[in-house]
Amino acid sequence: MFSAYYLQIIILVGINIIMATSLNLITGFTGQLSIGHAAFMSIGAYAAALATLKLGLPFFGSLFFGALLAAFFGVLIGVPTLKLKGDYLAIATLGFGEIVRIVFLNLKITGGAVGLRGVPKNTTILWVIVAAILTIFVLNRILKSRVGRALVAVREDETAAESMGINTTYYKILAFGVGAFFAGLGGGLFSHYFQYIHPNSFGFLRSIEHLCMVVLGGLGNIWGSIIGAAALTAIPEFLRASADYRQLFYGAILVLMMRIRPEGIISGKKSRKIPPGKTSAWRGKNKFLKATR
Amino acid sequence: MFLQQLINGLVLGSTYALIALGYTMVYGIIELINFAHGEIYMFGAFVGMYLVTVFKVPFVIAFLLAMVLASLLGVTVEFLAYRPLRRSSRLAALISAIGASIFLQNLALLVMGPRPYTFPSPFTPKVYKTSLVTISRVEIIILVISFLLMIGLTFLIQKTKIGKAMRATAQDKDAASLMGINIDLVITVTFAVGSALGAAAGVMVGIYFRTVTPMMGLMPGLKGFVAAVLGGIGSIPGAMLGGLLLGIAEVMGAAYISSQYRDAIAFAILIIVLLFKPAGLIGRFMQEKV
Amino acid sequence: MYRKKFFWVTLLVFGLILAMVTGCTQPETTTPQDGDEPDGPVAGADVVKVGMVGPLTGGAATYGISVRNGAQIAIDEANENEEIPGVTLEFISEDTEGDWSKAANAFSKLIEQNKVDVIVGAVLSSETEAGGPIAMSGKVPTISPSSTATGLTIGNPYLFRNCLSDEVQASQLAEYANVELGFEKFAILYTNNDYGVALKDAFEETAKELAEVVAVEAFMDNDENFKPQLTSIQRKDPEAIFVAGYYTEAAKIAQQALEQGLEVQFFGADGFYSPVLMEIGQDAVEGAIFTAGFHSGDESPVVQNFVNKYRQLFNEEPDMFAAQAYDAARIVIEAMKSKGTSSEQIREGLAEIKDFPGITGNTSIDEEGDTLKDVLILKVEDGVFQRLR
Repeated sequence: MFSAYYLQIIILVGINIIMATSLNLITGFTGQLSIGHAAFMSIGAYAAALATLKLGLPFFGSLFFGALLAAFFGVLIGVPTLKLKGDYLAIATLGFGEIVRIVFLNLKITGGAVGLRGVPKNTTILWVIVAAILTIFVLNRILKSRVGRALVAVREDETAAESMGINTTYYKILAFGVGAFFAGLGGGLFSHYFQYIHPNSFGFLRSIEHLCMVVLGGLGNIWGSIIGAAALTAIPEFLRASADYRQLFYGAILVLMMRIRPEGIISGKKSRKIPPGKTSAWRGKNKFLKATR
Repeated sequence: MFLQQLINGLVLGSTYALIALGYTMVYGIIELINFAHGEIYMFGAFVGMYLVTVFKVPFVIAFLLAMVLASLLGVTVEFLAYRPLRRSSRLAALISAIGASIFLQNLALLVMGPRPYTFPSPFTPKVYKTSLVTISRVEIIILVISFLLMIGLTFLIQKTKIGKAMRATAQDKDAASLMGINIDLVITVTFAVGSALGAAAGVMVGIYFRTVTPMMGLMPGLKGFVAAVLGGIGSIPGAMLGGLLLGIAEVMGAAYISSQYRDAIAFAILIIVLLFKPAGLIGRFMQEKV
Repeated sequence: MYRKKFFWVTLLVFGLILAMVTGCTQPETTTPQDGDEPDGPVAGADVVKVGMVGPLTGGAATYGISVRNGAQIAIDEANENEEIPGVTLEFISEDTEGDWSKAANAFSKLIEQNKVDVIVGAVLSSETEAGGPIAMSGKVPTISPSSTATGLTIGNPYLFRNCLSDEVQASQLAEYANVELGFEKFAILYTNNDYGVALKDAFEETAKELAEVVAVEAFMDNDENFKPQLTSIQRKDPEAIFVAGYYTEAAKIAQQALEQGLEVQFFGADGFYSPVLMEIGQDAVEGAIFTAGFHSGDESPVVQNFVNKYRQLFNEEPDMFAAQAYDAARIVIEAMKSKGTSSEQIREGLAEIKDFPGITGNTSIDEEGDTLKDVLILKVEDGVFQRLR
């Protein structure tokens, strides 16, 4: 029905849905800006690929191994950096992402600057759909539970949440761990689809791309992230028709889309109208969701 | 060798510091990470190069014109991409900034082509040598201009009326506006001054490394941002200190630990500093008000 | 409320996919008409599509655009001279942004949507690594003009390349520097990417056998400041520095070394070959010696023809990427002439290329799809490249 090209784009949309929804858990729901999501993806990608190549694990096993290792690093980076707030946390995650990329670029076992070849092609459209649905399902369950309400409370007002007896540190680490787990899953699917990985593709530009998907789709809304991921995966491919102007248009589209719908395609808030006297749709104290003036 | 590496670090760091100032000024007023700042830096370098090579303008005038034109570009970007989003969430403005950065970078690529342009050095190359260190004339000029610009900026912010307005706006926008300060004007001036500093850095890096390319803003833009955070974002002396420290950290990391892991070392130092000083070196740690 | 939202989201996602399918299939339906057009150059002329993949934006754009320009000249020439009777070549290029995963999309798009018959590309080794399996499953022969990674073409009958091998040129250069020129103490400064690492490994191995390597330092793509590495190298007091990287960085390294009072002989590989080396490096690169596959000072008419056309069309001097891409496209055309224009025939033709007289020297393709070429050694003298060997 679909040519291999569409199939490839749909697979990438699926992987990006996993990346965007898991980042949304960290940034959109818990309010912790992360610009290092690609690092968790690359950890999952390399760990899963090496598990297949060196340990001979079956595909499912290596995916799970990659995701677990990414979650481990998510918690590892989460614990010390949780003291940090706002932009300082963002820059720490960005630094972490760059460190991971440079380490992969220089390690022997990952193939270093030559990249890792010969990963078997195990990722099929079915695997991706199952993984994406699983991710959305699990995240939805989490968000609809006590944990989810706690996460949103952390986003809206940390001090208030703390005084209500919510262990904010625990929930922030949880968000990082779960988000990193699914990012690692996406990475494992990624490496087993392309059969080759190189650290170049996991730089801070990729993390920024994930962030764009989340914000464009709508912060704090899972469905929004799905649309954001689909749109930002498909748009650059559409724009191939515009040849040399492709990236120019892409930049302009980002600016225009934010101008038309600054709260994202689907806003996470129930009421979309900004009441008179309020400066923003977001009433909480979170620095990133607050208006600039 | 240590002293030589220290000088290498200071020269690199002073350009980071100039870029970091642009970030930190904008951030201090509207809390926006101006991602397009790296592209303003690139634009400044191109204007300077073009004026010197094509129109044969004397270097000093080219330098000043680059700063003026870049500040116009900075103000235009603010007007088109950030002002409409001022009442939206900060992340929306951040994405808009990223879009503007991609747009400007690729516009330059289309107009100028991908090949590096040569920026001829306006100063006759001369190297000063002592038994311990060698330093070139260009390096001395870069250090001097950077420090002059930083002193000038400090004067502007501390001693002039518009500087006072900037400080007031940074502290409390609503109160400042009630006191009769034109917030829009303050933001415009902030973008203009920040962009002019970015362009100055661009021109100086252009003559130092003798090349200008459309992609030159990408890494320095990121490093400038990191430097601003390292020093404490929003703080002017913090940006200067952060820039210098980042430059020195990078050079020392490459020299004494491993040139392969240079950037990783710089980022690791950044994270460690942040763990001990969670609001950067000079930043104020703002306790959330209940 | 919740259901309603879900409905809209699903609708939107499907709408997007639908738009993509319809939007992208349009060119497919129009192409057969192009081929049937009666007013074509030859009645019933066939259109054979040649794809190109490479970084046209991003940090590596300068290399990708050179490759596109070089290949474009070869395609235009073939069309003008009607080299393949009854066949018009169409050239389609796709951008990778320098990211291998996007290169995979570009390969897929060219093969599935544009139905190209052959691909010239990709440019960076990582891009070709990601595109190779796609070309193989789509059965489209691919020839990279510049991906030098070791063993890249092994095990993929559809993948070929036309560039100097990193091992061969670096080890030959090390031997030349030691045996012919008498250098004994080397330092190596390499880009931390596949190209730089492969060159460094090969040079280091040969140089260590023959002489001494006193320092090895790395830098990153698009770096501008090499003072820390050069200061470290200076302390080890080498006689020569081998720079494993491209011309922009090489010129800046030479420049900064001179400023620092580090006066040594510079050696390099085919990445040095560009007029930009002298433009930026000026006096500092004078005397630099490097290996190359192409020399624009060559008097032969094919080389002069290419150099002149390149100057005319693009208003600049060709670099190594452009020359190798021109030859890669010429080799594809040669394969079409000898075997035919279907993908399978082109592949057979490519595999049998022997002693093809290209502008980058005589080229043969071995059983693995790798090239065997003569290695030239050039030197910068009075701001121009002179051939030493």
